[in-house]
Amino acid sequence: MAWIDRLWNVLRPARLRRELDRELAFHLAERTDALEAEGYSADEASRVARQRLGNYLLQRERTRDEDVSQRVDNALRNLRLAARALARTPGFTVTVVATLALGIGANSTVFSAIDAVLLRPLPFPNADRLVTLAQIDRTASQSFVAPVRLADWDRMNSTFQAISGYYTQDESEVSGTFPEMVTRAFVAPRFLEVWGVAPVIGRNFSPAEEQNNGPPAVIISDGLWRRRFHADPRAIGAILHFAHSSAPIVGVMPASFRFPVRGVDLWSPSLFVNDRNITWYTAVGRLRPGVTVDQARANLASVQAELGREFPKPDGEITCAIEPLKEATIAGVRGSLWMVFGAVSLLLLIACTNVAALLLSRTAARRQEIALRVSMGASRGSVAWLLLAEVSLLALVGAVLGLGFAGASLALLRTVTRNLPHVADITLDWRLVLYSLACALVAIVVCGIAPVSQANEELAQSARATRSSGGRRAHAGLVGVQVALAVTLLAGAALLVRSFQALTRVSPGFDPDSVLVFQMTSSWDETADPTKAQQRADRILERLQSLPGIEAVAATPSVPGIPSDYQTELATQEPRAASEPKIIAQTRAVSPGYFATLRIPLLAGDLCREQGAGTWTMMVNRAFANAYFAGSSPIGHHLLQPGNVYVPNSEVRGIVGDAREMGLDRQPVPTVYWCATLFQPGSHFLVRVRGDLGPVAPAIRAAIHEIEPIRSVYDVAPLAHQIADAYATNRLRMILLSCFASLAMLLACVGLYGTISYSVNVRRGEIGLRMALGAVRERIIRQFLSQGLVVSGLGCAVGIALALALTRFLSGMLYGVSATDPATLAGVVVIVLLVSLIASLVPAIRASRVEPMQVLRGD
Amino acid sequence: MSARKNDVLQGTLALLVLRTLASGKPMHGYAITAHIQRRSDQLLRVEEGSLYPALHRMEQEGWVRAEWGTTDKNREARFYTLTPKGRGQLAAERESWNRLTTGVARVLRGMA
Repeated sequence: MAWIDRLWNVLRPARLRRELDRELAFHLAERTDALEAEGYSADEASRVARQRLGNYLLQRERTRDEDVSQRVDNALRNLRLAARALARTPGFTVTVVATLALGIGANSTVFSAIDAVLLRPLPFPNADRLVTLAQIDRTASQSFVAPVRLADWDRMNSTFQAISGYYTQDESEVSGTFPEMVTRAFVAPRFLEVWGVAPVIGRNFSPAEEQNNGPPAVIISDGLWRRRFHADPRAIGAILHFAHSSAPIVGVMPASFRFPVRGVDLWSPSLFVNDRNITWYTAVGRLRPGVTVDQARANLASVQAELGREFPKPDGEITCAIEPLKEATIAGVRGSLWMVFGAVSLLLLIACTNVAALLLSRTAARRQEIALRVSMGASRGSVAWLLLAEVSLLALVGAVLGLGFAGASLALLRTVTRNLPHVADITLDWRLVLYSLACALVAIVVCGIAPVSQANEELAQSARATRSSGGRRAHAGLVGVQVALAVTLLAGAALLVRSFQALTRVSPGFDPDSVLVFQMTSSWDETADPTKAQQRADRILERLQSLPGIEAVAATPSVPGIPSDYQTELATQEPRAASEPKIIAQTRAVSPGYFATLRIPLLAGDLCREQGAGTWTMMVNRAFANAYFAGSSPIGHHLLQPGNVYVPNSEVRGIVGDAREMGLDRQPVPTVYWCATLFQPGSHFLVRVRGDLGPVAPAIRAAIHEIEPIRSVYDVAPLAHQIADAYATNRLRMILLSCFASLAMLLACVGLYGTISYSVNVRRGEIGLRMALGAVRERIIRQFLSQGLVVSGLGCAVGIALALALTRFLSGMLYGVSATDPATLAGVVVIVLLVSLIASLVPAIRASRVEPMQVLRGD
Repeated sequence: MSARKNDVLQGTLALLVLRTLASGKPMHGYAITAHIQRRSDQLLRVEEGSLYPALHRMEQEGWVRAEWGTTDKNREARFYTLTPKGRGQLAAERESWNRLTTGVARVLRGMA
């Protein structure tokens, strides 16, 4: 392996030289002996022997050159020279390395998130074959699947290996001193078959266990196993006790298996009901190898059509929707992640441009050194290689530091992006290292082109020629690019900031302050007896109401102000003209105290009452009344939801104000409220408190424990916090983009300052001459200021064009401001021009202080 | 100064070295020079400065192998041996040399 030899020899030059010296010394000794034998004196012989060999050092080097890899050798030599040159200018070196490290580090951090969340497959075997399935019913917004229909799909299809489903509920495990809240997933048969993951200890459910009234069994998560059983394998067979049931543990899942939710503690077989109207599963399936999603869609569509013929009601109305599981998981975050990645890439580009401008100034300052190298016989190529070596060294050191920076910021990233899927998989690994190196390579190319071509241009001109204006133009061009990119980022950031401001200024139609939210464990089984569940809920609400400092209490299935969607089609019992629009509304079941607790005003009619058997009352909001009962009053009408077996038709009792319950960023839509105190998994309790929220939480816990000792209270938080958390992604997006934009602006300013300073330096002689000839200082200042403004003005123009092209990617993330909002864009331009005016002012003033005599004498 | 002793022509040095080593006996650089000089009846003289770069290049090409050893006079020297690949190279270079000399000879005969 000659090339390995040569590479190796590059790395141990001293040893190679010693060997060559030994070999040549032997040759000289032999030759001297031979010459002495011919009659030369010892001195003479040694001299002639050396003479015959020629220039000793040259021979040795020529021989050495055969033994080493020339390319590597040259590269190392260039790197050594570059390192020495950079060490001579520590200020420059530190600036450039820090700039690149920041750019590459920030980029790598965001890339790691993109990689973990978007690029990598889900952590299951052959995860690309996993899909979600939903039953789409024209009349209902929810897409849960009926157990019997799921079983039909699983049995009748020809494209799936398995179809299964799940639903979760939080409940209390009561083996310990205090009830512990655990998250349980109830699963349909063949659940683990879909995932292709088996328990690490124990076994999957047996077919008997998956039957109704079969032997009870649970599989627990790695987390629960460690927490409760200290990872003891004897946990298999141990009995877990829940509020109304108990079950032995039959298996433990691996730590990597965290489905359907991160915090899931255990899985157990679900009940089966043969009613086609009762729906509860979120369905998942595994495609057979080689089957595409489209084929599966077509297959399931024909299966469902067959079911529709067999059971026209309700299956005739139902279709099946299939989505790759990964799409379903990441759909919510993809836009934000790519947006942040785009921003951080622009930042890296700005950093590179900045470095390129710095290098350009440096190259110009080293004209003499370069000219000297050339006159000593260096080829133009070798000068270029030397410059490239410097850039490479800077970029590589920057990449290594950037990687360290990325490693440090990953911890931060993990905490601020808790809600992202797979956030725990974000790690510093070889992919990230490769990515950073790729960034460095881009940096080398972007940073290297300008100075290298500049050096070549300098060389092309004779040493005595006047300084070229090409350098200055290239310099100004680079700064213009920086300004343009900074304007783009600033525009994006400004839009997000304005959108966030609009969001905080919006009046939600309800008052989230002084309201505490919490949840309580319960099971779906309990909902089988609605009267009992309602009584239980009423008792809880009464007890809460009796606590000191409590103004009002309510129960609701979903927290107001947090994005949600329960759109359904309704019908009136009273006749309605066919020409009238269909009634589509958001529906919520709330306890009667809901409106007082949230301070949603009553506009007309009366507040609804507690539901009685078969007679429910309801409220509608103003938007509903305006949309469907314009000119008349909905009060007294009866509304029903066709197909919903849980809700009887209900009388409208009154109209309340519009509230943004579906999310602060969405206009209130027609909404109906069933006054029904539902107590089911996922129910939230709202408590309006007089005065301080702090002391109320322990009091609530104690009161609940008193009347419901087997339930755990959890997720206790002020409503305002929960709403803010729901918009945390918006805030994070805004903060990140603002940081990037500020950094970009800072870099652009440094660049602008640098280019004007450079221009002043280059033209000192000219300035001195003009001042000697009588030019006024103000004129000099104005000249350099206008030079700066031209550069940043052109930058702004390009930047705005770029922003107009790019901000449409933001449009889905904006509220209350258009992606091309003229005021925002104009504001950005004004700020950039002002800042660049200041950045140019300092060097411009310095130019006007040039002492003519000194300059003229000096040159 | 007349070329009493002809320096070895550029490009033929490798051929001569390969041929010298063809006997299979390991030889050091000095011995190779001496051998070429002796076998050519002092007609050819290897330029000593070119020998070692050439030997090292041939080593990197894999035509010869080098090992340190001791001479009769108990000196440390680097001994070169021909490799099978070197033997093939020798055949190729000999062939091309023959073509060259035949060609040159024919041209010269024609001009006589």
